[in-house]
Amino acid sequence: MAVPLAELRRLAIVKHVIYLLVAAAVAVPLIAHLLPGEFEPTPNARKLFDRVEALKPGTRVLISLDFDPGSEAELLPMGMAILQHCFQRGLVPLVMTNYPSGVDLARKIVEDAIDKSEEYLGKDLVSGADYAFLGFRPGDVNLLLGMGENLKGAFQTDYYGKPTANMKALAGIRSLKDFELVIDISSSAWVELWIVYGADRFGFDYGAGVTAVMGPDMYPFIQAGQIVGLLDGLRGAADYEKLLAQKGRGMFGMTAQSAAHVLVILLVLAANARFIFRRVTGKEEA
Amino acid sequence: MWYKRTIPLIVVLVAGLLGFAHEYVPHPISAEFREEMTTGFRIIGGFGLFIGAYSLLHMHVSRIRKRNPGWAYSAFVFVGAAAMIFLGLYNDGSGPLVDPDPGELTGLGWGYDYILVPCNATIFSLLAFLMASAAFRTFRVRNFSAALLLGAAVVVMFGRVPISEAVGEFLFGPDARQVFPKAAQMLMDYPNLAAKRGILLGVSLGAIAQSLRILFGIERSYMGGGD
Repeated sequence: MAVPLAELRRLAIVKHVIYLLVAAAVAVPLIAHLLPGEFEPTPNARKLFDRVEALKPGTRVLISLDFDPGSEAELLPMGMAILQHCFQRGLVPLVMTNYPSGVDLARKIVEDAIDKSEEYLGKDLVSGADYAFLGFRPGDVNLLLGMGENLKGAFQTDYYGKPTANMKALAGIRSLKDFELVIDISSSAWVELWIVYGADRFGFDYGAGVTAVMGPDMYPFIQAGQIVGLLDGLRGAADYEKLLAQKGRGMFGMTAQSAAHVLVILLVLAANARFIFRRVTGKEEA
Repeated sequence: MWYKRTIPLIVVLVAGLLGFAHEYVPHPISAEFREEMTTGFRIIGGFGLFIGAYSLLHMHVSRIRKRNPGWAYSAFVFVGAAAMIFLGLYNDGSGPLVDPDPGELTGLGWGYDYILVPCNATIFSLLAFLMASAAFRTFRVRNFSAALLLGAAVVVMFGRVPISEAVGEFLFGPDARQVFPKAAQMLMDYPNLAAKRGILLGVSLGAIAQSLRILFGIERSYMGGGD
């Protein structure tokens, strides 16, 4: 059955009105730098924060930033918050990425987190001593398995070309078995790969940060204890910033996300109210 | 035909069984085998990259030749690829295979930071507009299942944002700030978890079954010929 021309025109107008409303709902809070009201961090975010908090100063933490610019809005604030937390706690983060297109982004996150942490701590953080940026190595699953045998063999130099063999930041680390905690911030199936080929095999605790759309897939792993804490979408980043008592991109994004979610809910309810009304009055078929 | 059928099947069986076995053998020879396999995967990956690049460029050349609608975008693929390859090879005058100084923004880095990153972010952010429009036009309570889905979606969407706590307090008092977040968390912890676990187990069992079929030569479609 062909859709009448008038109905098509109405739908086109409605579509553009919705686009304008979404643009306003997202842009206004971001431009006005509106912060959300008081809120309680989610239990999964708190678990990850508490796990990092429980590590002794000097502990090496492996952080894998497995995403590219497409997921930057959600995942960059998570990486920033976790790195800053590590520096504040005196931990030694070792950062890597499994995304060749995410290397520059990972480097930027590390450098920005260092700048902010140096300001907070009032001292310089030294590459190769207080942290290491290992960059990207090809190999996917085989890289993980190789890291499980010999991490310095898998990463013979860091991103800046310095040999890792005698690097202070990697002191005491021979393989993945020597890590207490590994955190993966990912927009893809790398979370599952880290669980199957990393955490389950080499016995470290594993925390994850994922995009909101991936969040529901992670719940079986959380219940099974294979993920010790989860940051789920921009809300996860905001939760971590809240626990750190910071106001970063996650927090500033929350007002825009609140407005967009409420707008979508109102739009769906309005459309259904019209649908039900038309069914009751016989203008719409079931 | 034995060299077209039998040899590939033997190669698959032997390589598959070795790949399976080395997972369970904690011996230096096993580790060495994995290293060799890793090198092999990287070489295959290199060929894959070449085939991928060839396929992409071939498709766009074909679009330009046939003057398909939007062919100018295909031409832009070549302009973008050529510009980034040139910037990478030129490397601010240092030439290829020379690492730039740490902290220095090269032309390639500039292209990444100020072209690739905003373009990727823009594409991703368009989802918000499309999802809002699609939800408005298609999400209807036509039956009980649809009503259940709509109810769950509204609770989770609302419970996931901080404003839900203020609304809970406004509607039900200061002790009820967590009513919407807890309802959303409950939906994620129970019905969502049950469904996801079922899917995960089903997919995993299917993957194991399919792997065994390939390993023992029951599934041969990867060799071509429609078997």
